[in-house]
Amino acid sequence: MKSPTDIRFIERGWLSANNIFIFNEDELHIVDTSYDSHRSQTLSLVQQHLKRHPRSQLKSIINTHLHSDHCGGNATLQSAFPHIKTYIPQASCEAVKNWDETQLSFIPTGQACSRFQFNEALQVGQQLTLADRTWDILGAPGHDPDSVILYCAQDGLLISADALWQNGFGTIFPELIGESGFDEVSQTLDLIESLDVQLVLPGHGPAFTDVTRALQIARSRLDYLAQDPKRNAKHAAKVLLKFRLLDWQAIQLDDAHKWIANTPLFNSIAKILGMSLDEIKKWAPHALVETGGARLSGDQLINQN
Amino acid sequence: MEPLRTHSPCINLCRMDDEDRYCLGCRRTLDEIAIWSELSDLEKDALWQALDLRRQAS
Repeated sequence: MKSPTDIRFIERGWLSANNIFIFNEDELHIVDTSYDSHRSQTLSLVQQHLKRHPRSQLKSIINTHLHSDHCGGNATLQSAFPHIKTYIPQASCEAVKNWDETQLSFIPTGQACSRFQFNEALQVGQQLTLADRTWDILGAPGHDPDSVILYCAQDGLLISADALWQNGFGTIFPELIGESGFDEVSQTLDLIESLDVQLVLPGHGPAFTDVTRALQIARSRLDYLAQDPKRNAKHAAKVLLKFRLLDWQAIQLDDAHKWIANTPLFNSIAKILGMSLDEIKKWAPHALVETGGARLSGDQLINQN
Repeated sequence: MEPLRTHSPCINLCRMDDEDRYCLGCRRTLDEIAIWSELSDLEKDALWQALDLRRQAS
């Protein structure tokens, strides 16, 4: 099944989450706005759409969750289109109101996000109408405790954020700070299985139709991680470093060490792995190189696609 | 025969050139980025070939 004609699924990369445009001739709504450093391209993509649909206006931003790769373009879009409404998950409203960058994960993960405002809360269990479609707002904890996913029963469309990708799901962050995450991922996968989904529009990677296969892959991945929390911690360390490296592209190894030592989540990860901060800052770049996500050239750590 | 290239050309360097014509990372236009997931496998592969040429030309 292809995307319906009133939906444009814009597959971005791993640093920037995918953008989903939901539109008719009068309205455009954007679900997730990608990473901060890609904000001008995100704005250009919106402007290009409006140019192609001259009657249309950007009406709203909807964030599935507030990781920096999903809401990094919010501030830029809000300033370019001052009249738009921004919807965020109810559970994140207080943190955005106070711009609590620890609660919002930007400080713990060492990621950047320009400050933005919100207008409306996405309440789990309620519905949201965007252009000509109505979506159920479903809670999808696991990768992020506050995350929502959007389900359009009419055509079996699921905007799955980082709860389900074609080959896995997003890092299970709560487990890194001593909170529960494995059980929540499992329940979220059960929830998705209970829906009649024909097409998944995920937060990263291509759209897909084979939900059964994706759920199988996700469950087997979850089993693997949950069997030994060190696996989740090691994976998270590599993901966090890779994410920053996608932005830097290349960095002095010394500076990578400093960034790791100053990024609070690595402290929690080190504890789970029984490492000192000094050990993890040296371990993580090498672990990323070993998996092919980076290479070393002299004293430089270089991104590898 | 080479297999068709159908994976996304995005390399996470998502910035347009000064004329807003091509992405400096993947060399696609804004329209080509926007419609990527609606292309058939053959169309994706054809666009990959066009991107190779654009990269050589720049």
